[in-house]
Amino acid sequence: MSETHTRIAALAKDRIALDLRTEDVCFLAALQLHSDASGEPVFSDDRLVATFAQVCELVDPGADNVRSRATHAIQRMVDQRMLARIDGAGLVRSGDYALSPMAVAIVKNLLDDEALTRESLTLLTTALRAQLGEVKQRAHQADSEDEWRQGVIEPLRVTVRDLLAGIDRRARGLDEQHIELQRRIADLLDADWFSSIDRCESLLGRTTETLAELKDVLLRDAADLHTQLQDIGHAAEMRDAHDALAAVQQVSENVDRLTAWGQARQRSWSEYHRYVHGFLRDVVRLDPERALSQRLRDQIAGWSQRPFRLVLSDAEPMRILRPIEPHGERERVTRAHRRRTTELAEVQPDARPAALESAVETALASRPAWLSEVLTSVLPEIPAQQHYVVIGRIAELVATRVYLHRARRRAWVKVAGPLEVQDWQLGRQRKGLK
Amino acid sequence: MRPTAFTRLEEAVSAPHFPEADLLLRRGRHVHQDDGELYAFLRDAQDFLEPLYRRFGCELVHVSDGYFYLMPVSDQLPKRLLGPGEMLVGQTLALLYRDPETLRTAGVVPRVRLLERLRQLVGETELIHLLSPRKRRFDSARAAEQMVRDRVADAVNTLNRLGFLTVEGDANVRLLPPIHRFAEPVRSQGDPQEALERLIRSGRIAMADDESDTSEDVEP
Repeated sequence: MSETHTRIAALAKDRIALDLRTEDVCFLAALQLHSDASGEPVFSDDRLVATFAQVCELVDPGADNVRSRATHAIQRMVDQRMLARIDGAGLVRSGDYALSPMAVAIVKNLLDDEALTRESLTLLTTALRAQLGEVKQRAHQADSEDEWRQGVIEPLRVTVRDLLAGIDRRARGLDEQHIELQRRIADLLDADWFSSIDRCESLLGRTTETLAELKDVLLRDAADLHTQLQDIGHAAEMRDAHDALAAVQQVSENVDRLTAWGQARQRSWSEYHRYVHGFLRDVVRLDPERALSQRLRDQIAGWSQRPFRLVLSDAEPMRILRPIEPHGERERVTRAHRRRTTELAEVQPDARPAALESAVETALASRPAWLSEVLTSVLPEIPAQQHYVVIGRIAELVATRVYLHRARRRAWVKVAGPLEVQDWQLGRQRKGLK
Repeated sequence: MRPTAFTRLEEAVSAPHFPEADLLLRRGRHVHQDDGELYAFLRDAQDFLEPLYRRFGCELVHVSDGYFYLMPVSDQLPKRLLGPGEMLVGQTLALLYRDPETLRTAGVVPRVRLLERLRQLVGETELIHLLSPRKRRFDSARAAEQMVRDRVADAVNTLNRLGFLTVEGDANVRLLPPIHRFAEPVRSQGDPQEALERLIRSGRIAMADDESDTSEDVEP
C-alpha cells in the first residue's frame, strides 16, 4: 500500500496529465498502422510530417500551415511521452522517433475490437494447453534453481500469462459487444418497432449460441488446464520450489476467474434474453402500431378526471398465537429485604453527666449564696474547652435543686478564664432533693 | 383439465408451497415467474385452487403475461383499492415498461426517470394536487417537491410489497410483468371507456368514489 502511495504521490508531484485531441489520436493511430504495415517501428522527421499531413486531410480538410501544425503536434506528443526520440542527437539534426509503449497501448485499445469467439478461444486454450504440457515436462526434469526459473517460473509468468491476458482481453471485447448489442436492439425497436422483431430475435439467437459455446469450451478446457497445473504444482511441492508453486497458484486463479466470467455472462445474458423475448411477445407483437403506449399516455393525463383504482385482496395476516410454554413455580415478586433494626453494639456509658451532677450537689451542700460560687467550685475539675457548654448544664442543675431569688438587676461575674455569667442569688433548697 | 403434479385438492393444499402462496395471494401480492417455485406450484395447483378460492368469494386470476393474483368478487375477504399515488406511479411505470430505453436496461428504471416522466405526463401542479389533495399550499416549491418525492417513494414501496416491481438499491426499480395491470383499460383495441366499464363490472377496478377500502393516505 505504501508503494502505491509513493507511486501516486510521484505522479501527482510531476503533474502528469494527458491532453489528446482527435487529430493527435488519429496521428498516433496512423503511425501505428504504418508501422504494422511496413514493419519499421522508427519514424523520421519527414515521415512524421507526411503522416500528419495525411491525417489532417481526413480530419480537417483544407487546413493551413500543415507543416507548422505538424511540428506542434510532434512536440506535444514528445512532451506527453507518446513519441520518444531515439537517435540521441538532440537539436543538432532532424531526429528519429518511435511510439512509446503508452501510445501503442492507447492505439491498440482504440483500434482492436477483438472479441471472444469459439474459434479464438479454442485456439488460445489449445496454445495454453500445449505450453503447460511443455512446462510440466520441464518441471519433472528440473533439478537446479536455474532450471526451475527458466523452464517453469518464467514460462508461467510470461507466456502463459500473456495467453490468459489474450483471452481476458477478448472477453472484455465480448462484453463491450454485448453492451453495443443491447443498445442496437433498443435502437432497432425505437426506429422500426414491429418490423424489427425478426432482426432482434436473430441478434439474440446468435449471441446466445456464442455464449453457450464459450461456456462449453471454458468448462471443458478449464478442467484440462487445472489437471496440468496440479501436476506442475505437485512437482514443485516435491522439490520445495516455492516460487514455482506461487506461479502455478496465480495461473490457476486466473483460469478460475475466466471460467467464472463465462458462467456469469451466460447467466446474465439468459436473463436479458428472457426479458427481451417477453418484451417482444407481450409488448411489441400485441401492439404492432404502438398505439397502446399513446392510449396509456392519454389515460395517465386524464386519470384525474376519471380516477379508477385497482382492486386487490387485503386479508389480514393470519393471527398466530404464541405457543404455550408450561413453566414451573414462579418466584414471588417481593421487595428487597431491608433490616429494620440496627445492630446493637457495646458502648461504654458516658460518666460525665453523672459526675457533673454529683459535683454540683457537693457544691450545693455547702449552701452557696450565688451561682458563681457553685461555678467556681465545679469548673476547675472540668477541661477549659468544655466550660462554655458545661456552665449552662450546671445552671440547669442548680435551678432544679434550689429556689432562685428574682432580682431586677443581676451582676456579671467572672467565673473561669474569660467567661462571665449574669449571677443568680440562690435561696433555700427544694423539697425532696438531697 | 391439463396434466398437473396434483390429482386432488388435498394434495395441493398439503404441498409445502401452499401456505406461503396462499398468504401472499390473500395479502394482494402478485406471484410471478421470478418467484420461481411458488409460481410453478400455482401453475400446477391452479385447477384445484380456483374452485377453493371461489368458495371464499375470490377469483384466482392467471394472466398470460406470467403472473397470478387473487381478485375478491364478494365481501367475504377484505379488499383494498390502490391510492392515487400508487395508481399514478403504476401507470407511469407501465408506460415506461413499453419504452425501448427500458429494454436496454432489462426492465430497470431509475427513480429519477420515473419522477421526470410523471411530471411530464401529469404536470407539476396537477401532480401536487393529486398526491396531496387536502393541502393546497406549501411553504416553498422545495417543500412541495419533497412531498412529491416522498409520496412517490411510498407508492414504490407499496407496489414492491404487492409484487408489481422490485426495489434495486436506492436509485432503481425493476419492473415485473404484473405492472401491465395498470394498462388494462387500454390494452384492448376497443373504446377505453367501455373497457373501463367492463373492468369495473368484473370487479378488477373500482372508481375512486368508493373510498371505503382505499389505501390512500389522508393529509392531516
